[in-house]
Amino acid sequence: MIKHTERIWLLLIGLTFAGAWLAETGNAGWPLTLIVAFLIGFKGVVVVDHYMEMRLANRRIRYALYVFIALIVSLVFIGHGWSEFVRQLTDIG
Amino acid sequence: MNNFKPTDSAEVSAEGRDHGRIPGNAGIWVGIFCILVEFLMLFTVYFVSKAHNPEAFSHGPDKLFTLAGTTITLLLLTSGYCMVKAVKAIRRDEHKVSLRWILGAIFLGLGYPIVKYFEINWNIAHGVDGETGIFYTVYYYLTLNHLVHVCWALIGLGWIAIRTGFGSYTSDNYRGLEAAALFWHTTDVIWLVIFPFFYILR
Repeated sequence: MIKHTERIWLLLIGLTFAGAWLAETGNAGWPLTLIVAFLIGFKGVVVVDHYMEMRLANRRIRYALYVFIALIVSLVFIGHGWSEFVRQLTDIG
Repeated sequence: MNNFKPTDSAEVSAEGRDHGRIPGNAGIWVGIFCILVEFLMLFTVYFVSKAHNPEAFSHGPDKLFTLAGTTITLLLLTSGYCMVKAVKAIRRDEHKVSLRWILGAIFLGLGYPIVKYFEINWNIAHGVDGETGIFYTVYYYLTLNHLVHVCWALIGLGWIAIRTGFGSYTSDNYRGLEAAALFWHTTDVIWLVIFPFFYILR
């Protein structure tokens, strides 16, 4: 029987291969953005909870790490859906 | 730092829940959050650059060596797995087992700079350097910055390997080992963002 730590490692490896396959397909657009956001968010939370063992420890640190991951995922959506707004907001020309 | 006794909350085994327990030590978390803020800023730079240069970022990943990025991800995740096992082993006072897992983590972690070296050579052979375009400038800046942090973390792993070899850690006092493992996992988390940004997202 595969132990918990090994299951987590296999899950992360499997998702990495899925990401690599996705990269080779050359797809773009909203479906890819959603999948990338999921891969970043899910893998990030899995590493925080199970590799760093934060699900067993200090809640404030755990939630701060979740906020970091949530901000990154938000950037992915903003970067794809509101890139024109970002361009105007940061235009110094 | 590793000689003081753990606090009452830390004496509760990390295998059990204690939502007040700070894994590793407070100092390592200051370092970890500094690095997370630094990379959050760099990722913001990535998206601002992307907003101003959508064409460059749309086709940028096409010229990168996806196999190298995938290999680095696999190396870091497996190395992280080794550190999880090292921490679990020291909790059982299995010093030799813990040391073997730490050495395994270092061995796999050293694969990262080696793969990076070959990737950069491959890039240059295919006409991709820091001046090829804005996408590649951001790519080199972010990935090499991450590599520097990984090198620091590897030095930290080397130090705890020495201390574990000398029997400095026990099931009651392994905060130094745990702190190094946490720093190593943080480099994992950051790479898990870098990989899709540069090799997948179009």
